[in-house]
Amino acid sequence: VKEKIAVLAGGRSLEREVSLASGAHVVGALIERGYNVVALDLIPELVDTLRSEKPDAVFIALHGKLGEDGTIQEMLEFLSIPYTGPGVLASALAWDKDLSKRILADAGVAVPRSVALSVDGVKEMGAARSLDLLPAAIGGMPAIVKPARQGSALGLVRVEAFEGLADAIVSALGFDTKVLVEECLSGVELAVSVLDDAEAGGARALPPVEIVARGGVFGYDARFEPDAVEYFAPARLTPGQDADVRAAAVRVHEVLGCRDVSRTDLFLTPEGLPVVIECNTSPGMTETSLLPMAVAAQGLTFAEVCDGLVKAALARR
Amino acid sequence: MMGTARITFDRWEGRYAGRMTSMRGSAVRDLFAAASRPDVISLSGGMPDVRRIPAAAVSRALHEALLEDAATALQYGSSDGLPDLRETITALMAESGVRVKAGDIVVTAGAQQALDLLAKAMLDPGDTIICEGPTYVGALQAFSAYEPRIVAVEMDEHGMRMDVLEAELAALGPGKAKFLYTIPNFQNPAGVTMSAERRRRLLELAREYDVLVVEDDPYGRLRFEGGHILPLKALDPDVVYLGTFSKIFAPGLRLGWMAAPAPIRAKVLLAKQGADLCGSNFTQSVVQRYFSHERWRAVMRDLTDAYRERRDAMLAALEEHFPPEASWTHPEGGFFVWVTLPRHVDTGAVLAEAVENGVTFVPGDGFYADGRGTSSMRLAFCYAEPEAITEGIRRLGEVLEDRLEVYRAFVAAGALPDEGAGGPAPVAAGATRGEQS
Repeated sequence: VKEKIAVLAGGRSLEREVSLASGAHVVGALIERGYNVVALDLIPELVDTLRSEKPDAVFIALHGKLGEDGTIQEMLEFLSIPYTGPGVLASALAWDKDLSKRILADAGVAVPRSVALSVDGVKEMGAARSLDLLPAAIGGMPAIVKPARQGSALGLVRVEAFEGLADAIVSALGFDTKVLVEECLSGVELAVSVLDDAEAGGARALPPVEIVARGGVFGYDARFEPDAVEYFAPARLTPGQDADVRAAAVRVHEVLGCRDVSRTDLFLTPEGLPVVIECNTSPGMTETSLLPMAVAAQGLTFAEVCDGLVKAALARR
Repeated sequence: MMGTARITFDRWEGRYAGRMTSMRGSAVRDLFAAASRPDVISLSGGMPDVRRIPAAAVSRALHEALLEDAATALQYGSSDGLPDLRETITALMAESGVRVKAGDIVVTAGAQQALDLLAKAMLDPGDTIICEGPTYVGALQAFSAYEPRIVAVEMDEHGMRMDVLEAELAALGPGKAKFLYTIPNFQNPAGVTMSAERRRRLLELAREYDVLVVEDDPYGRLRFEGGHILPLKALDPDVVYLGTFSKIFAPGLRLGWMAAPAPIRAKVLLAKQGADLCGSNFTQSVVQRYFSHERWRAVMRDLTDAYRERRDAMLAALEEHFPPEASWTHPEGGFFVWVTLPRHVDTGAVLAEAVENGVTFVPGDGFYADGRGTSSMRLAFCYAEPEAITEGIRRLGEVLEDRLEVYRAFVAAGALPDEGAGGPAPVAAGATRGEQS
């Protein structure tokens, strides 16, 4: 019998359902590869169960708060259980779209113009009186308003005119205590998954997946509604564009200190510049998620990739 | 031994019928239903307070059913229900002003089964039906299995708005809606009651546009104030009327009924035979005997008094602890108060914080088929004791207060208009998720 792998899924985050679907897909893949698999939920009994089950490694199929922000990673390190995916610091950095964007910009990665507003700024410092400055700060309307720390584009809206900004910001502050008001990019929307490849000696990007949202914005509802979005895997890019966006995703992976896997969402602007929106350290693994699409476009099987992630974690024992 | 974090996945995923996707429940609601703890005050469940039903009265009915006629009680019954119970039902309906014969009645497993059977008998995928918006979540679940298009008509304090209904019917055209579903008394979840004038107007419109009217009346006898308003069925024999013993006796018995015109009744009976052949003769026998003793009236008075006291506690607590931007309905009976908040407050996100603070409610979007209602919530006053209700509303008020501080800062800065209303107010529909105006 092969090693025992605990797949962590569920949790209480707003992305519970998506995580359970990711977890089910991963469990199937790991069983196929002959592992002894146990699926665990992120609930108060988790530590007890981990200590009694004694898995050789944990596969993190959690999304959102606690699963993707470094919290579970930190606890697994304390329990000395190796796990798949980026470590504590990279997870925490990528989770905060405001902080990660600053680090990426400092490293020379193109990111959209944005302003972060916090609940404390509004309550304690009168930040609501600065709204008039927003359009100029992001290069004009329309704007994207989204929680700084939330997955699957939950709470993300596109605001066409200045008059709608206040409403959108107050709504987004219901999902997180910090929101980003961001330049609305045009061009081709792409998701580029990156896997660490021990044999190749570094990170390599899978084929970019192109996202065409019918309504124009790839929000939470569109992500899980079958007909709202069209995907192209691989994306319809020239060889040069393809190389550029892959290089950008690998660069993000490295700058943030990611490990094993990450998925960078970006726009290829009409001028041909890849502009990075965010990096996901626990990308969706459901049957219809972007990473599995890229895996298939590469000619790999999902099971092989899951196996590779598990082996990398086991090697850290 | 502690519990375990182990989860088991569905290995038959992918083999289910397409209709199951349209039957998805609300993830957020499931999540927090599972997370309920004893220290959490629940203002979410619409459970009647069966603790107040005297066991002796039930025990007596039970013994009579067994000792006097076990041969009937333990046998299969007829699909339309025990004749004696159907007589009891016609007598109960007569007290509400509806004249029907026992032959018009089909006894069902709760009114919920009647909803399912009716939808099964009437709906093809893509058919249009009309309901109130918001409406009973169980009706949405029952109907959605048959994949209809659901048109929600908004309400105000006098129930469904007839101008909106007329516009919808005119847009659809005569005979185009398969049926119109309404809960005229103390509506679930809005708590409002359709006025007598609107009831008459609704029936006029239904005749003009050739629409079958389905009247669901679970709470009609739980009136705390104001005068009785005649049911739609009393005004028009073509109305399909749904009743239940869940609120006037106990939901654990799973007994309800439908009073329908003969042709519809015949189709529903066919559907019922496929579903369960017949209801339980045993429980029908017990219920029939329970209502044969006058004591049930005293029990009902006691229950109604208790619910009135709880409603008063909730309304007083709302007045004291809820932020001025909130508005809510003033139910004259039933179980529920509907709260409307400024449109950017997402009550699904509020629920996460509320659970941490020890109180639950039901977010509004579950009562719509189209994603509306995200800034509303349903509060149930039927089950918790008055002191718990007051404390629950206080806790919830704190959570909302915290949320609304940001909103107020924006209003103070002149960045948002002041929506604040407060007190009893119309049932607002709320914005569709993701839609920003």
